Amino acid sequence: MLDHLNEEGIGYRIFEWYPLGLALDVERPGKLLSNLQGYMHIQEEVSMVPPLILDPQPGEQILDLCASPGSKTTQISQMMENRGLVIANEPSLSRIAPLRSNCERLGVLNVAITRYDGRLFPRGAFHRILVDAPCSSEGRARRGQSVLLRCSLKRSLDLQTLQIGLLKNAVRLVEPGGVVVYSTCTYAPEENELVVAEVLDEAHLESASIPGLKGCPGITQWQGRELNEDLAKCTRYYPHINDTGGFFVAKLIKD
Amino acid sequence: MLPSSSRIRNVFEPLENSEVAELWNSRFGIPTHAFDGFRFYRKSNSIWVISDSLIPKLSYETLGMRMMNLKDRPWKPTTCALQIFGRNATKNLIHLDEAQAKIFLTGGSQPIESVSEMGYVVVFYRGEVLGCGLYSHGKLISQLPKERRMEASMQGEDI
Repeated sequence: MLDHLNEEGIGYRIFEWYPLGLALDVERPGKLLSNLQGYMHIQEEVSMVPPLILDPQPGEQILDLCASPGSKTTQISQMMENRGLVIANEPSLSRIAPLRSNCERLGVLNVAITRYDGRLFPRGAFHRILVDAPCSSEGRARRGQSVLLRCSLKRSLDLQTLQIGLLKNAVRLVEPGGVVVYSTCTYAPEENELVVAEVLDEAHLESASIPGLKGCPGITQWQGRELNEDLAKCTRYYPHINDTGGFFVAKLIKD
Repeated sequence: MLPSSSRIRNVFEPLENSEVAELWNSRFGIPTHAFDGFRFYRKSNSIWVISDSLIPKLSYETLGMRMMNLKDRPWKPTTCALQIFGRNATKNLIHLDEAQAKIFLTGGSQPIESVSEMGYVVVFYRGEVLGCGLYSHGKLISQLPKERRMEASMQGEDI
């Protein structure tokens, strides 16, 4: 693919923290032949972090509980060298088509799509599970301020109920010793640390930092309330630090 | 049709690898061992391919990639499956030059001289598979899905 980009005279910079991540110097990357032919996928830089923390291995069984449009699903599939099985779950019928289309364009052969409510996904003994949860998306504000107009404490608390349901089910579905990665593209502690805190009696946290990418520790105090100090092992990625979108990532190991 | 029987038709039924491998070998000359390490399923008029692995009992929307459509005769390969398996084709394939590739990529039809038999062909450019074409009466008709096409306005641009 780099040969194609060089031939086409398209400038790019390889991320310091991920050799397969490229920042392209082009106006409409989606229209590049390399994209149409499935050699690349266009996405926000920092949203490539959660699959790296998940660290899936070829041959494993992985569940991506909130999969569409499949940026992380397909990155996981690639990390597994198209071997093993990734179950990409997406409850919304209208969001199945882009998920499927991205998988097919990128030549993915180890993904099966299901359409359960993630809180009720019925069974499994997965090696690793990604919960890239629906969130208020404050971390996307640089791509359009309108996302902030919809944010409120009430909205965050409504989402928190869903997020806790998803994360609790993921912890249930992963095998003992297995990894659950919880991520959002928002800053609200109600949707991040306060969600992760709900499962710390069944799982413990490990570091979710990436060498070469600056992260900040998860918060351990919010509105006068002391939280579990292990929540500092979560990582917050901020736009003003890395010149990316914002993200929150937690890595949990089931006890 | 009873509801129960239509429901049965809508499940993924496992196929023998050899059933699929022989069809692709016969049309494209792809060695049958290229299909080892995969599982194949039929659902309604489509055949699906997925990497060989334990598949838990769940209700699935897709199993891997849709690789062929059996609705019409002859059966039609999907562009995405040709990109995976088509590189091993030894017949019914067409190599395009840059100008021809541009027409193909925008979804167009064009006269092409080829020894290919009439029907679906693997279309190559610079040694890589671009996708599925229909070769008929000396004409190559692009079968690229709409979302995979270049815009016609980009025809003048480098590819």
